[in-house]
Amino acid sequence: MLDDLLARFGKRDRLALARLLTLVARGEHLDAIRLALAAADSAASRPAPPVVALTGNAGVGKSTLVGKLAEYLRGQGQSVAVLACDPQSPLTGGALLGDRVRMPSRPDDLGLYIRSLAAVSGNQAVAEHVELMIRLLAGFGFDVILLETVGAGQGDTAVRELADVVVLLVQPETGDELQWEKAGLLEVADVVVVHKADLAGAERMESQVRELLTLPGCREITVLRVSSTKQQGLAELWAAILACPRHDARVGDARALLRRAQQVLAERFADRVQRVGPVVDRWKRHELDEAQAADELLQLLIR
Amino acid sequence: MATAVDRKLWSQWQREIEAAPPGEQPATTVSGVPIDPLYTPDNLDGFEYDSSLGYPGQYPYTRGVHATMYRGRLWTMRQFAGFGTAQQTNERFKFLVAKGQTGLSTAFDLPTLMGLDSDDPRSLGEVGRLGVAVDTIDDMRQLFAGIDIGKISVSMTINAPAAVIMAFYLANAQDQGVDWRKLRGTIQNDTLKEFHAQNEIYFPPEPSVRLAIDVIEFCTRHVPQWNPVSISGYHIREAGSTAAQELAFTLADGLHYVDQCLARGLQVDEFAPRLSFFFNAHNDLFEEVAKYRAARAVWADRLRNHYGARNENSWKLRFHAQTAGCSLQDKQPEVNLIRVAYQALAAVLGGCQSLHTNSMDETLALPSEHAVTLALRTQQVLAHETGVTNTVDPLGGSYFVETLTRQMAQEARGYFDRIEALGGMLPAIERGFFRREIADAAFAFQREFDAKHKIIVGVNAYQEAERKPLDILTIDHAVETEQVAQTRRVRKERSGEEQRRTLDAVRRAAEAQENLLPTLLDAARARATVGEVMVALAEVYGRCDAAVV
Amino acid sequence: MVKCVENQIPLRIVLAKVGLDGHDRGVKVVSRALRDAGFHVIYPGLWQSPEAVVRTVADEDADWLGISLLSGTHMTLVPRIVEMLRAAGLDHVGVLVGGIIPETDVPKLLELGVARVFGPGTPMAEIIDFLRAHGSRTHA
Repeated sequence: MLDDLLARFGKRDRLALARLLTLVARGEHLDAIRLALAAADSAASRPAPPVVALTGNAGVGKSTLVGKLAEYLRGQGQSVAVLACDPQSPLTGGALLGDRVRMPSRPDDLGLYIRSLAAVSGNQAVAEHVELMIRLLAGFGFDVILLETVGAGQGDTAVRELADVVVLLVQPETGDELQWEKAGLLEVADVVVVHKADLAGAERMESQVRELLTLPGCREITVLRVSSTKQQGLAELWAAILACPRHDARVGDARALLRRAQQVLAERFADRVQRVGPVVDRWKRHELDEAQAADELLQLLIR
Repeated sequence: MATAVDRKLWSQWQREIEAAPPGEQPATTVSGVPIDPLYTPDNLDGFEYDSSLGYPGQYPYTRGVHATMYRGRLWTMRQFAGFGTAQQTNERFKFLVAKGQTGLSTAFDLPTLMGLDSDDPRSLGEVGRLGVAVDTIDDMRQLFAGIDIGKISVSMTINAPAAVIMAFYLANAQDQGVDWRKLRGTIQNDTLKEFHAQNEIYFPPEPSVRLAIDVIEFCTRHVPQWNPVSISGYHIREAGSTAAQELAFTLADGLHYVDQCLARGLQVDEFAPRLSFFFNAHNDLFEEVAKYRAARAVWADRLRNHYGARNENSWKLRFHAQTAGCSLQDKQPEVNLIRVAYQALAAVLGGCQSLHTNSMDETLALPSEHAVTLALRTQQVLAHETGVTNTVDPLGGSYFVETLTRQMAQEARGYFDRIEALGGMLPAIERGFFRREIADAAFAFQREFDAKHKIIVGVNAYQEAERKPLDILTIDHAVETEQVAQTRRVRKERSGEEQRRTLDAVRRAAEAQENLLPTLLDAARARATVGEVMVALAEVYGRCDAAVV
Repeated sequence: MVKCVENQIPLRIVLAKVGLDGHDRGVKVVSRALRDAGFHVIYPGLWQSPEAVVRTVADEDADWLGISLLSGTHMTLVPRIVEMLRAAGLDHVGVLVGGIIPETDVPKLLELGVARVFGPGTPMAEIIDFLRAHGSRTHA
């Protein structure tokens, strides 16, 4: 059944993509899917699509902005996949995934794919195995991947590893203006968006953020105002995202892979654990590219 | 108010009640408010008759807006009607007038309510189904043909496109030679509650409110007997709110409209007397009565003391009530007659100015003539046989009802503070405050129902296996075809150039933030459709594409 | 057929309001109740066209689709949706209808392939039990 799915996926069957995403979300057949993608990756020469994460507190308008950005990109002719995360109850495992409400409904547009995901609440900003879902969407051929987190302050470093560019959303007049700063969010953000810029206080918010960024030790971060309601600032936002020094998403992917490899090896083949480190070192020294490193790690696992 | 002095008797009662076995259901109102077994003067600390209650027709109007209430004049029995084509609804109107109804109330179909024309693809299957389809002034003319709108009061339930429909109505009145100053009636025109509950939304909140204020401003100056807004809690309650939320959110909406009218430069006493309200009449009799009484007192206090209104008519909260559609059940539908009768009683004991009683078959389909007649008869029995009209505010002075009234007013003021703390009405909408509060309350009730803490007769208790089907009214699919053809005919007949010119003027007026009614009247006369005008406005205002959860 | 065991594989259900009616009290209450019962509920919002519903079901790989209608347009919209699901290769998705459906229309909907019709006043437990009993035809 999996072989059939993967074959259909290879032929760009959208239902197969949907089903594979479900399997990954459930943590099923991860290694086999990884392997299949790695094989396909080394065959293809396409560059990996940019992965952009949008994060920020609840109510700041993440889904709305993801939706507007997706529409903007569709207007530019780019195909877009969205992974939208909502919290899952740790008690019942249930989740109410309502992000689509604020996203464009374009049933005839095959260049837009939206998938709602549940993330176990607590310390996860995104659903489990998102890195593999990203690779699936990339493998399917989407030009841009947008990742919406559950909220800021939870598992930010994981988001940092998954995405090329992290966009942090803040809004005017929230009363908790400096909370995200405490959470160290500015350390993971590449772009800060003052969202809902049509509301009063947006300029003040922008200058507060800029002031904060002049503190010693802060990286170069773009700050800009965006209004989804008035459709203002989207082009500027996309330009700012593209201008960010590209973190290689594969770094995150390789790290996730490394963790997974170590975990499985430790569980099953204690003798092979020490062989993981050298592979990663060679990759860091650019002696191996990501695909090769991934391949070697997988070989370690399945042999 | 008298106080209870004899503590010994009180303790004796207390012992008896403590010894009694507890009831099967916890004693709460339908809104989940805990209710004590007994209310005494102790509950009304500091209650003074003159200052706390006063007389009907006097500030703060807790006991009613008129000195004589129903002894002077009965409430208006106003049944909401509309289905199919304008001609079919016109016939239903004439039928209702013949049966003794004293005011007309127009229900529009969903496409019209959403600002869509009948031939829009999104209207498919919806045309004329839940109300009458009005696309152009031609439909409006047909709707009121042979009815003297200079004499009978007419209510129109419409919101997002209210300004457009108002323009159709006014232009038609002019064509019929009826002086605008003679027109009596109400247009709902309350877009705020659409964002809280009802979801008939077209433009974003800010321009939606601006349009509503255009209607209020225009009618204040030119249609003085018309109620240009009916600030509605009905739909908030239908969406699952508690009674206190219904009260609080409705009054908060009203206060926002007042602020916006003042910002236009209107004087409070110019427009406040014509603001009208619309509340739900739900199952919990005393809670409902308390809600209406508190509504009058809180509104009067705000208008007099906060806004400095001097005209007494500005202080008076007048309201229409409709029995709760959400309380009607499809199991044993005849039982709905009984529910409706009690709900109507609550509205009358609460001092409503007009009342709609739902028909028993409304959860199944549009009401049949038989069911509509029984609903109207329910009001007539209440008015003429029960004797409830003989005295004003008969529950006034009840320890229980006065306590509930006070609690209700306090809760409303508490909500005003919370809305203020969120930055006011529009930011609170933006943050989903109202929707969240309402959804939480709806879910809480569902849990009570599922646990059988709240009983609904025939549904989670006293069920019957056998079902007797009612004869229901079905809408012929031909209505849609007919209406679409009619609208296309108008498009063909009219002058395209006139239509374009008037729509351009509408757009320009919207950009300039002028009052839109004058240009909308021109567009109406040029036979522009509701959909065309809305699209033109959206080019300036933007569309609200998603109702936030 | 995979029976859904509590706390194991959450069923994915799309709850959709189709047509123009904005009465979302019922769909919201059901959404919350299903969430609390361990389902993954995908709610795409109001005014969904049949095309949009089918797209959501496909891309979300849903096991079930719940359609909420209160405006009386069920005989226009439900057949279209069912047919479009079939055409999209989504026969395995179970379809539920909730809302005000006259009794005479219920058999017609069931004949179309709708699994169950839930009217007003349905206890939440009835819906939850039904879904649990039928599980998923997706992941056979």
